[in-house]
Amino acid sequence: MPTTPELPATVGIGLRSPHVARVRAERPALGWLEVHSENYFVDGGPALAALDAIRADHAISLHGVGMSLGSADPLDASHLARLKRLVARVEPAVVSEHLCWSHADGRHLNDLLPLPFTEDALAVVCERVDQVQTVLGRTILVENISAYLRFADDAMAEWEFVAAVAVRTGCKLLFDVNNVYVNAVNHGFDPLDFVAAIPGDAVAEIHLAGFDASGPCLIDNHGSRVAPPVWDLYRATIERFGPKPTLIEWDTDLPELEVLLDEAALARRILEARDAVAA
Amino acid sequence: MPSLREIQRGFSAATLFGDSAAVAGMAIVAGNLDPQARIAIYRDNILGNYRKVLAATYPVVRRLVGGPFFDAATDQFVRGHPSRHGDVNRYGGDYAVFLASYPPARELNYLADVARLEWAIDQANIAADAAPLDLAALAAVAPEALVELRFNLHPAARLIASPFPILRIWQVNQPDYEGDAGVDLGEGADTLLVTRGDQGIVIDRLGKSEHAFLSMLAANATLGAAASRASDAETAFDLADALRRHVANQTVVAFRAPPARTRRGNR
Repeated sequence: MPTTPELPATVGIGLRSPHVARVRAERPALGWLEVHSENYFVDGGPALAALDAIRADHAISLHGVGMSLGSADPLDASHLARLKRLVARVEPAVVSEHLCWSHADGRHLNDLLPLPFTEDALAVVCERVDQVQTVLGRTILVENISAYLRFADDAMAEWEFVAAVAVRTGCKLLFDVNNVYVNAVNHGFDPLDFVAAIPGDAVAEIHLAGFDASGPCLIDNHGSRVAPPVWDLYRATIERFGPKPTLIEWDTDLPELEVLLDEAALARRILEARDAVAA
Repeated sequence: MPSLREIQRGFSAATLFGDSAAVAGMAIVAGNLDPQARIAIYRDNILGNYRKVLAATYPVVRRLVGGPFFDAATDQFVRGHPSRHGDVNRYGGDYAVFLASYPPARELNYLADVARLEWAIDQANIAADAAPLDLAALAAVAPEALVELRFNLHPAARLIASPFPILRIWQVNQPDYEGDAGVDLGEGADTLLVTRGDQGIVIDRLGKSEHAFLSMLAANATLGAAASRASDAETAFDLADALRRHVANQTVVAFRAPPARTRRGNR
């Protein structure tokens, strides 16, 4: 793979359509912005024009939710072609996808669904990551997901699976701290075991978000502020990996832009504290 | 031990269709929550996501039938018309077809046409951009050759005809609408043009002749054939005026001459 482009090791936010006009007009002091790739799989129109304008002021991360790297079905070539076209247009700093599956027998569920942590699934994911990286001609980032179930036939821990994908394919990792915490609570493991197993050099981005604790297990709904134990885990993560580009993600019940900027400031303070220690 | 494909098939059957036998085949760890409850979390997430996606595309349909009816209809739609793309924004184009034959909606005979209008609006927003028609090139075409030209509509342009007053239904169901919200279904048919302007989506009500004219152009007919069909619809059809207006508002954005019969092109 050619040299890996990078995001600045600062804080960004996930940009959603209700905030686009203000971000365009006010150009808040953010290191970078992340958008969902599929929202720009369009032929033209105002949303794409807005992204063209925003990328002039900010580094962009294209974050895919629909590639389905872990489906037994073949990769959807038209989906990949659309991503390739968007990457050529936007010239993003990074391109990421999820370690999950979304379709079976051509029927899409349009959700980030959990994989069994088996050698078979690992082989499928690695083959798909290779394919995507070959077609795009660049290294991609893959993200660990939240899960509300796990499979009895798992042959390895989730962190072994995630680390193996990076080692085998040379891809980078998008380390979602909230997802690690959610899974640690839901499946009863120590989140620090997960952090300890990840090769820090492979981590190219971090995600932070809020979860919903109202049900029988934690749901990663990106609908609230980052929870205190997730901030603690983020500190431990940064302690181990060093400063990494960090994103505040919010999708459900999207608040005013100020709330996201406020969360971003909290993350920035933690990053800068780590920088100060390192210096 | 189930294969990856077996797990994914089972998961799909269990979440979308409530196939509880499929859950047993997936070897899900129970822990403090039984496997059926875990699958139910995913079922609620998946169906809830489609409800949200379709509510964003079809807000007027949702308002007309109410949330619970809309959610039930959407769940039924998802089972019969599965998503075929990883990009969920492309989902829901055949919701109108579904609604037209959805028994609980039988008495709302205008509902499917309202859905067609909302899908047209959704698609107009994301269609390709296009440069305005090259007027100098058009002026250079010999007058006797004009009737042989074929015209391209803007990729965002959509024509919709309904026996119901769907524009009025759509307008009185906008969140910012104030005034009399009553609609007389007897007020008649609508022939509409949906386009994308600089300020957003524009919906125009067309006369019968203009609707026939633009529909013919969209179907790749020559200008002569389109004009003839338009005159059949309404004898007062004014070709020059219609063409001028639809070029000016960028509904008509390009033209093509028949290659063999004239060398005056549009390039």
